[in-house]
Amino acid sequence: MKNNLQKDPAEFYKHLSLFWTDLIYLMSSKPQALTSVGPMRNFSTNAKKIATELLDASEDLAEFNKRLTEYYQQLADTWANAQKKVNTKIPKIPNDQEQFDSYKRIWIDMFDNDFTELFDSHKFGENYGKLVASELELSKHWEQMVNVMLQSANLPNKKEIDEVYKELHALRKRVSKLESQTKESKIRSKEK
Amino acid sequence: MIEESSRLDPKLVEEFLKFGKNMAEAPKLVPALDEINLEVTEHEVAYTEDKVRLLHYKPRTSTQIKTPLIIAYALINRYHILDIHPQKSWVRNLLDQGIDVYMVDWGTPTNMDKYLDLDDYVNGYLDNCVDFVRDESEVDNVSLQGYCTGGTIGTVYTSLHPEKIKNFVATAPVIDGWRDTTVVSNLAKHIDVDKMVDSIGNMPPEFMYYCFSILKPFEQGIEKYTNFFRNIENESFVDNFLRVEKWLGDTPPIPGELFKQWIRDIYQDNLLIQDKMYVGGKHISLKNITMPIFTQVAIGDHLVSPECSMPLHYAVGSEDKTLRVYPTGHVGMIASSLSQKKVLPELGQWLKEHSELR
Repeated sequence: MKNNLQKDPAEFYKHLSLFWTDLIYLMSSKPQALTSVGPMRNFSTNAKKIATELLDASEDLAEFNKRLTEYYQQLADTWANAQKKVNTKIPKIPNDQEQFDSYKRIWIDMFDNDFTELFDSHKFGENYGKLVASELELSKHWEQMVNVMLQSANLPNKKEIDEVYKELHALRKRVSKLESQTKESKIRSKEK
Repeated sequence: MIEESSRLDPKLVEEFLKFGKNMAEAPKLVPALDEINLEVTEHEVAYTEDKVRLLHYKPRTSTQIKTPLIIAYALINRYHILDIHPQKSWVRNLLDQGIDVYMVDWGTPTNMDKYLDLDDYVNGYLDNCVDFVRDESEVDNVSLQGYCTGGTIGTVYTSLHPEKIKNFVATAPVIDGWRDTTVVSNLAKHIDVDKMVDSIGNMPPEFMYYCFSILKPFEQGIEKYTNFFRNIENESFVDNFLRVEKWLGDTPPIPGELFKQWIRDIYQDNLLIQDKMYVGGKHISLKNITMPIFTQVAIGDHLVSPECSMPLHYAVGSEDKTLRVYPTGHVGMIASSLSQKKVLPELGQWLKEHSELR
């Protein structure tokens, strides 16, 4: 345990934080329990979850930053290459209307072509997919933290609201099925 | 003494100054997007279910053909593009040709609708709209047109309920995801759609705007707006430009489960064209589509490439099938002077030849 913690600073700080959160909670829970059943009691009970989420989020934040850097790197490289191509094709700065229009046309065409090639590429798609995935991981941590706050205020969290939506969807389907069955049986009885 | 070659042409300076003046005067000359009403052709709301509305357009001719046409619009943006401007209205043109037109407006889903899936859209909303029109028009079957993702919904519907469809019109339908060569399909193939929907529920409009922003970003982001300010005094240009801009900037969220199934089954696993797709537990076979079918494809479509749409023409079971390829783009095919002069007259003629007359 000790060796592992020494090797990985992130693990060490995570352990340190959880250790003290647990200990403070244990030390303070008895006097709190006497006085509180309200939001602060709920919040202190769940405060450990917020600490855990924050620590886990920092790992995902590193992945997000890596993917975001790669994303901007790809855009910057493509921009630089496209500009080089434009400079090769039109070395002089335009100084009349005709030259300016043709410069603009070539610039737009070259940039659109190069950027479309980038957006079409596997490397862009792959990085973009991972960038979005890491962003979603971060949003999941944020959601878990907000859930703790909501729980402390006795409000429904996302999971509970989703259950309601799901149930509502199933009910809508059931009603619609019953309606069509009623309609069909009415038609059948009319035919008889 | 300045060298001759480095001097700026006075005409160029004048052009820059005029451009600056146009930008400064623009707010005085053009309305804000909120002040523009996109409802062009007179209609009534014939049927509603949850957030879905079925619009019925008022006839513009003394007689109409008996078989009505229901248009299933796409899931992205809203139906207004098919009736964007009196001179470029898809709906108005068809009405003027004596066709009875209905339009499905899918509405604006909220978080409550995140579990709506393809089954709900196809076997629920669209089927109920079709039944309503069949009852109201006293016909056994109707003509159905699907545009873009509405083309996919229409295809699935027509395969499952062929007895209710007399003619099927597929306009730039999303069919063969693996053959799609657009940048949108590249993103669609790489996103973890399960994680996305589980985390954020409905697909937010912002994600759609990102997808649009990478389509020809410099032409669309610079040249288009430069032209707008250059033509700020041209009323007809400005009116048309603002209408399309308003339409582009108004896309509703897509229900999460529906988005998940669409991306996974069409773009990632490509099940529809391979005859492996299931909706509501029912197998979707394109061979079930045996009624006359008219497929419209735009060669310059950078949202749904022709390679993605055209396989529908070859995969269906219909013997009476027509494929038309037009020299335009995704929006140009439905809202341009080309659509008025070429695309719509051909479609109207085809519909009249394949419909019940009064």
